[in-house]
Amino acid sequence: MAADRTPPPRIVCAGLAKTWEGGLAALRPTNLTFEAGQTTALVGPSGCGKSTLLRMIAGLETPSAGTVLIDGQPPAQLLRAAGLSVAFQDPSLLPWRTVRGNIELALSLARRPVDRQAIDDLIAMVGLAGFADTRPAELSGGMRQRAAIARALATEPRLLLLDEPFGAVDEITRQQLAEDLPGLWEARGTTTILVTHSVTEAVMLSDRVIVLSPRPAEVVADIAIPLPRPRFAQDARSAEFGQLADQVVAALSLGRARHDGPLAAQ
Amino acid sequence: MMAAWRDLPVVRPGDGRVTLIGLLLLLLGWEALARSLADTYLLAGPVQILRYLMEERALMARALTATLGNALAGFVIGNLAAILLAAVALVWPRSQRIVTGVALVVFCLPLVATGPILRVIFGPGDGPQIVLAALAVYYTTLIPLLVGLRAAPSGWLDLIQSYGRGRLATLVHVRLRVSLPYLFAGLQIAAPAALLGAMVGEFTGAERGLGVLTVRAMRGLEVEMTWALATVATLVAVLAYLGIGGLARMVLRDAPPILLAPPRASLPFGTGALRRLGSAAGVLMAVLVLWWGGIAALGLNPFFAKGPQDVLATLITDSDAAATRSLLAQAMAETLILLLPGYLAGLAVGAGCAVLFSLMTVVAGVVMPLAIALRSVPIVTTAPLVVLLLGRGATGTITLVAIMVFFPTLVACLHGLRQAPGQVMDVFDSYGASSMQRLIRVRIPAMLPALFAAARMAVPAAVLAVTVVEWLATGLGIGTLMARAASVSDYNLLWSVVALVATLSALGYAAVGAVETRVLRRYAPEQLA
Ligand SMILES: Nc1ncnc2c1ncn2[C@@H]1O[C@H](COP(=O)(O)OP(=O)(O)O)[C@@H](O)[C@H]1O
Ligand SMILES: [Mg+2]
Repeated sequence: MAADRTPPPRIVCAGLAKTWEGGLAALRPTNLTFEAGQTTALVGPSGCGKSTLLRMIAGLETPSAGTVLIDGQPPAQLLRAAGLSVAFQDPSLLPWRTVRGNIELALSLARRPVDRQAIDDLIAMVGLAGFADTRPAELSGGMRQRAAIARALATEPRLLLLDEPFGAVDEITRQQLAEDLPGLWEARGTTTILVTHSVTEAVMLSDRVIVLSPRPAEVVADIAIPLPRPRFAQDARSAEFGQLADQVVAALSLGRARHDGPLAAQ
Repeated sequence: MMAAWRDLPVVRPGDGRVTLIGLLLLLLGWEALARSLADTYLLAGPVQILRYLMEERALMARALTATLGNALAGFVIGNLAAILLAAVALVWPRSQRIVTGVALVVFCLPLVATGPILRVIFGPGDGPQIVLAALAVYYTTLIPLLVGLRAAPSGWLDLIQSYGRGRLATLVHVRLRVSLPYLFAGLQIAAPAALLGAMVGEFTGAERGLGVLTVRAMRGLEVEMTWALATVATLVAVLAYLGIGGLARMVLRDAPPILLAPPRASLPFGTGALRRLGSAAGVLMAVLVLWWGGIAALGLNPFFAKGPQDVLATLITDSDAAATRSLLAQAMAETLILLLPGYLAGLAVGAGCAVLFSLMTVVAGVVMPLAIALRSVPIVTTAPLVVLLLGRGATGTITLVAIMVFFPTLVACLHGLRQAPGQVMDVFDSYGASSMQRLIRVRIPAMLPALFAAARMAVPAAVLAVTVVEWLATGLGIGTLMARAASVSDYNLLWSVVALVATLSALGYAAVGAVETRVLRRYAPEQLA
């Protein structure tokens, strides 16, 4: 499957910044590199500008300053080649299509052949076996998010952007997905950027965690996660894991303190 | 995700049994009233009407077939035109303000005058009926469709874009499907409107049809026949309304939304005074070009096809322009004196009844479905009844205008009252607020957007109602002036009146829309986004 694929892309953000109309700054000028084939987690308080950063990388939002280059090309290039998938924070499933229908639509939009068996496997992998022909309205919030993850994976993207993909997913399923997903995108050779609130999830899934400050976002820490793979739920109890998680938590509070200043601490 | 359809004012159809009971009560009351008034020769009861319809079934069937055929043709043509215009606005978004502005002006043309003009253009036959039916429907389809085509949540658009696909894919996979409920909602309002248009067209001298019989019945003071015709028109309108609702349910696999008033489209009176002025000028230019160009392109006889230059001459430069102007002003004054009280009374009574009913939940349950059904009645076709009951004086006219405005307002407001956000109500409950307080603080503000949407759409409807009564019955005002101008072939005057009435209605519509914008900014800012 992965043999004839172009290798996963490397993403370079240079001086990337976003200020909304009306002057609200979402992202301070930022230099970030996402290495090819790595999984990078973006962690930061809500409203700090994580989604904005992700959308600029996906070419869905125009930066106010700076550039995003994917293997030296602007994002539009990758978009045109349908080499990108986004699992949006809001699952954005079309309500008149079933789970399968939504996945098939993504495949046809990306101009990929529809392989029924592969779709069924994906649906089973995200724990939706038996719900392939169900419409989103009849699924729970967590099930919808999983359908959206399956859809994002279906087109075998070279760059996978996940925006809080497990927000509404229950704990057990979340652990299961955290064990299964990295193997899949490793096998395929995917550069993955994962936005999350959960420190455990960030450490569990990624090769590197980038901690952002409250809005306007700024990189507070860039922490490598050298834990061996595959990783399992019980690994979260190991001392190494705990240390890494503590580093992320410390960076988060550092970001908050820097942002608020001593007086705003209450 | 359902948020896509949230900004559409919707009501789920009520419980069928409750509606049935309400309907039965209505019929019984009607019959009882008719029997007690039997010697006044004003009111025919259901039994009497049924007997009449049985006796005259051949005549009625022939008339109904003719009218339905024309209404259907107009329905199809008008809606195709709406879809075409929506497509133009979609492909070329900059044109949208002009398209909707021109569409509004054309929608505001007084059918009472366009009828006779179309009659001389088409000669005898079905042409005018079909055109009027088409004119009566296209706007109420166009506006929801335009809103529907833009109603897709941004997440779905991002999704399409994230696979590197553009506007065409968005249209095919998202926008068309999202706009379907809006389209159906528009079509549902259009079905009774087409019937109304066809009947008004028949008033202008057709050979066959319900409208022809209506005029005959009224001239001959035939009470039974007048009531029978109004009943048939009502039944057909309600059936068409329900039929399209059923079709929508089948296609959408979901209860169809009921559109209370076409939602707002960005009219040529958007934000910023300069832009507003610019688009208004653009609309004016486009209307003039279409008017002048249409006459030239169709090679219409200049004797009855008058262009903007003729109207200008009639109103300003001709030697007797001053006399014409004072004639118009007087007629307009006569009309406005009846139109304004009727319009305001319809709004006030509609909103008042809605508030009253909302305090009595059971009553609201009975009233709501009935009101929704009755809203689809082509009220204007019952004009003869109102004249019959209330006479040709001011009361009759004001009442008809008020009824025309009343039903849509009632339905919209009842719905608006239910819109009060649940959590806000909970907060009030937790403070032990009385139902009166809740009504004043939460429900009525929540109702205002619906009230103003209804008020906006009621402007052209009220103008239609007043001109039809004047024309058919009272011998006063602008409606009569149009009828008289048509009968003596004074086409300069007729076109001038048409231009004037259309302009004033469109301005009235825009003015109510401007007030609506202010109200929405305060009470429902999300609808302005
Ligand atoms: N389209 C937009 N227009 C204006 N402001 C926006 C827009 N989208 C997001 N914002 C603002 O930018 C900031 C960052 O938002 P976002 O990137 O969604 O945060 P998060 O880190 O929670 O994903 C927030 O303050 C949000 O209100
Ligand atoms: Mg976000």
